[in-house]
Amino acid sequence: MLRNHPQLKHILSRAGWYLLTFLVAVTINFFLPRLGDANPVDAMMAKASSGLDTKSAREKEDAYLKEFGLVEIDPQGNVLRDAAGKPQRTSLPVQFLRYLGMSLRGDLGTSILQHPKRVSEIIKTALPWTLCLQLPTIIFGWIFGNLLGALAAYKRGVFDRGFYPLALLASAVPAFCVGILLVYVFGITLEWFPAVGGYDDGLIPTMSWAFLKSASYYYVLPFLSIFLIVVGGQAIGMRSMCIYELGTDYVKYAKLLGIRESKILLYMFRNAMLPQLTGLALALGSMVGGALITEMIFSYPGLGMAVLTAIQGNDYPLITGCTLLVTVCVLIANFTVDILVGLLDPRIRAAQAGAR
Amino acid sequence: MGCRPDQGDSSGGFPRSETLYVGGRQWGEPASFNPLLSSPDWPVSGTNLLYEYLLFYDPESGKMEPLLAESYEVRDGEIEVVLNPAARWNDGQPITGWDVKYSYDLGQRYKGIPIAPIWKYITEVKLTDEGASPYPRHVVLVLDKERNNPLIVLDSFTEQRIVPRHVIEPLLANVNGDINELNKLKFDKDPVVSGPYRLSSYSSEKIVVIRNDAYWGNHALYGGKLPAPKYLVHPIYKSNDHISVGLQQGRIDASSSFVPRIWLKHKKGVRSWFDKPPFFESASIPMLLVNVTHKPLDDVKMRRAMAFAINYKDIRELAVSGYSDEMKPGIILPFGLESKYYSEEDAQKYGTRFDPDKAKATLKEAGYTPVWGPDGQLVETHDASGNKVPTVYIKSPTGWSDWESIVRIAVKSMRDAGIDARERFVDASIFWTALFAGDFDLMMNTPSPAPAPSKPWSRFETLLTSKEWLPEGEKMYKNQGRFNNPKAPDYVPRIEELLDVIPTLKDDQALASAYRELNRLYMQYQPSLPLVYRPDQFYEVSTRHWSNFPSADNPYTPPQIPGDRLGTKMLWQIKPVQN
Amino acid sequence: MKLFRGLLKSPAFLVGMTLFLGTLLIAFLAPLFMNIDPHRRVGLPFMPPSSEHWLGTDHMGIDMVSLLVAGLRSSLHVGFLAGIVATIVGTLIGVYGGYKGGLLDDILTVGTNLFLVIPSLIVLILLSSSLEEGRSLSLIALIIGCTTWTWSARAVRAQSSSLRSRDHVNLARINGYGTFGIVMLHILPYLLSYIFMVFILQTATGILSEASISMLGLGPYDSVSLGKILNEAIRNEALTDGAWWAFAPAMVLITVIAFALYVLNTSMEGIFNPRLRK
Repeated sequence: MLRNHPQLKHILSRAGWYLLTFLVAVTINFFLPRLGDANPVDAMMAKASSGLDTKSAREKEDAYLKEFGLVEIDPQGNVLRDAAGKPQRTSLPVQFLRYLGMSLRGDLGTSILQHPKRVSEIIKTALPWTLCLQLPTIIFGWIFGNLLGALAAYKRGVFDRGFYPLALLASAVPAFCVGILLVYVFGITLEWFPAVGGYDDGLIPTMSWAFLKSASYYYVLPFLSIFLIVVGGQAIGMRSMCIYELGTDYVKYAKLLGIRESKILLYMFRNAMLPQLTGLALALGSMVGGALITEMIFSYPGLGMAVLTAIQGNDYPLITGCTLLVTVCVLIANFTVDILVGLLDPRIRAAQAGAR
Repeated sequence: MGCRPDQGDSSGGFPRSETLYVGGRQWGEPASFNPLLSSPDWPVSGTNLLYEYLLFYDPESGKMEPLLAESYEVRDGEIEVVLNPAARWNDGQPITGWDVKYSYDLGQRYKGIPIAPIWKYITEVKLTDEGASPYPRHVVLVLDKERNNPLIVLDSFTEQRIVPRHVIEPLLANVNGDINELNKLKFDKDPVVSGPYRLSSYSSEKIVVIRNDAYWGNHALYGGKLPAPKYLVHPIYKSNDHISVGLQQGRIDASSSFVPRIWLKHKKGVRSWFDKPPFFESASIPMLLVNVTHKPLDDVKMRRAMAFAINYKDIRELAVSGYSDEMKPGIILPFGLESKYYSEEDAQKYGTRFDPDKAKATLKEAGYTPVWGPDGQLVETHDASGNKVPTVYIKSPTGWSDWESIVRIAVKSMRDAGIDARERFVDASIFWTALFAGDFDLMMNTPSPAPAPSKPWSRFETLLTSKEWLPEGEKMYKNQGRFNNPKAPDYVPRIEELLDVIPTLKDDQALASAYRELNRLYMQYQPSLPLVYRPDQFYEVSTRHWSNFPSADNPYTPPQIPGDRLGTKMLWQIKPVQN
Repeated sequence: MKLFRGLLKSPAFLVGMTLFLGTLLIAFLAPLFMNIDPHRRVGLPFMPPSSEHWLGTDHMGIDMVSLLVAGLRSSLHVGFLAGIVATIVGTLIGVYGGYKGGLLDDILTVGTNLFLVIPSLIVLILLSSSLEEGRSLSLIALIIGCTTWTWSARAVRAQSSSLRSRDHVNLARINGYGTFGIVMLHILPYLLSYIFMVFILQTATGILSEASISMLGLGPYDSVSLGKILNEAIRNEALTDGAWWAFAPAMVLITVIAFALYVLNTSMEGIFNPRLRK
């Protein structure tokens, strides 16, 4: 059946590949943070046990260890201990299997630092902020950057000579430097925009006019700090792609045939766009990481800060929950772009048809 | 998002002139407002806005002030508190002796809750007027004969949240008395409380409490007035520097976070307790705990050499922006209430101070020889028999900027004097594990920081007691440096005797001489290295939107931020600034 | 050689090279002329620039010029080490897979693409946060190298597989050269200029990555680095106290190095890839 649907076949094979990637990512997510042997329950105990005697402190510790599935339990529900009285830690592979089982049921576990909060609850409140900041910024930055890049490639001359080094510079400045500068100049020195937070402290997020107004006001600086860099990076890529396309045979041939310039430009733009689309998917991954720093600099609500505090406190369930989510988002974005490119690119379409 | 029984105006905003913004007491996302947990979120922890204590402790006068209890009396073998007859829960129920007894008795049943340790010092909570009136108001705590310690019991009056029995008891029955199940309840749906505010809403960005106009204390304690702010909002920022920005831009009205170089912020309306150095009133002593079972720290001469080597002035000027008086030896604060126990004569005679030459001389005298590299930097230290002395590491949590600075300075000064010390910044979780297990050479810590009726005794006890001495690896919540092992040949029983007797002394003369002796022993044995003085909390306010905050010139409450202990009182006194 | 002369004629290359050599000079010559000690207290916190301390002091009263020179050296150290690791790993995987083709190539490609998609900063953070025994500068460089090699592997693979069926490679194969010999003698030399460009980009990535994780407070515990200077300046309120000298110079340095390396890379691309020349 698939023989007659090359596109479907393409989609399915890509889906299979992404599933494999996903599995590897899950494994990495689980094992990397657990490489060090810090025990998160100790941090909880430090908070919970001031003033407890040794015995009751141990009882409390056992309860936590059991809850997080870090130790072996006998059928009566007691923590198994070795000869020295140390609790018997569950081996990592077993923990991993349990974790897989739980994740499949959609259960990401309980946060250790924010005990007894569920990981999914924390993610649910943080995610919208990160998405609202990242998605529009990246998409607008990508469109704007590509337009600028194409323009520069086409016009060359003075415009390009002025624009190109600037774009190069913009892509070389680390995102946090732009963020810090914006905070320093517009947030602290001039006090034009708020330096800290996601909306006015005197508001509660609702779909009200007052809230939206305040949220957009607070949005400006974090938006700019990412936007400028995306524009720079994308423009450079687009510029060299377009220059490359300008020199290809089909453009030369089309010119010889006397096809209208605007039409040639359109072809060229479309062909140059495709690799840029792939670039967008890949860039998404690094930008999610960048979100961490942006959120830190602006004290902006979102996933980034949740990950960071989780990492510092070895909150394994929260770390794996957040990174899993990030990975899934990036994979979905990549997958979508993959499919889009497959549908749009005549070369790939031809290859698919030829494979029949 | 929590429930929202009452929000501000229709747009969900809080009018600025009716809202007080507080910072620095809540760092992560709120998780639970359960009053039985040891560290629930603001404002259950660290304020009397929701749950109240029996008494306030005034660190300026050393006196107790009434809150739920109108009076207390220390007698031989027992302490009595008398509740204010007007005290009410916000559901209208009176606050009774049963509530108080229940709050304490829970600790007898459940060893894991914060009040539990008090049961080492009391044997029973009695209600002496049960049956005589509609409900009992006279509560008597019977002291343990062996560990007779009224100070600890008085401390509990000023820090133990009294919980409503008529709410907790049925909840506990619902879960068959399983405290772990009860601890999972969040108490975030407008819980029954006694304080002047009630929980309104919370999210990862802020916690909001709203004034309870029917608060019993408005009439009983404040002459019928209402607190000025209708809303108290605690925005949750991610670091100290953000709160500092908030204070300077008038987004935060009061905070207890560390703000460096506060004098630069005066022009933006940020004020601290004093307008000139040291700006804050110190109440605690950040120090390096020393594990005296590790080599070479078991040698008192080495410890004293370290104490001579450390540049306390650099620490004061660089790490804490000068918010500290000059460091004196010993662990009695040479100012404020404790100064009456401080002896300058003893300090001169037995104490240590920054003196690099003396540090080097002490090392030499003890047989240590530093080995210097060609660049003038220390390579290692040798002991009397020519062996290399192990490098000592100072542990401190990564990311705590003021502590990091302190440790860097300490390491530098020790190396300059010829002591092979290095910093080791560790993850916070590893830090706490290591602290309790004694897994450190030297470690940053502020023992027993809060002012309390038991000061300075509790500071001594936290550092010196060896009643529950355990070897390294086992957890100790006091004396983590494993000082004064009762089974060791060099055990000093006198220290434990003094710790036992001080809480029972009533005569000032006897008390002063006991403290003097204890501090002298501390200085002689140098079981830890005090570094600098620090306030119990950094009290900072912004005068952009509210006025009449207390300060050293107008000290109608001690330097405690609004809602925190006696700082609660300023809520009835501050005024919105008219624009 | 002709290419090299071409490079010297390219203004972009000259600008990039000048900037880059400039930072190298600062890093390695400054200690000869002045007293660089990033540990010694010379004054009060955040003293403004003066004739004695050209860029003032930081929050610990340490001379900023000393800190910047030391930080620059660390950043270059991290950058080069991470660049070398990433380039070697990426080149080995890319060249080998590209030349060999077949199943091995497929496996290597799948592996590379896998790691290309997983956000490297997240892996970096996870790894560096789980290292208990402190993160030394070199360890961080190694970690960065091990997480950023993927796209160089992909790029190199594409080049090497195009070389596979060239005549001289076929000739070598007929003459009985082993895989190793062919790769070393007949493939790598043709890719050298390309690999060098990859190395330059990887170095820039290394420097920026180190700065990023230092900004997050996961930086090296044993040395000053430009990212750490920034992180400390911000945490100690250089922004609110208006102490621009505590953060601006470090930002400029990071940007200049990254910019110089990018310019170098693109100018070389222009020379090596004649299509772009016009």
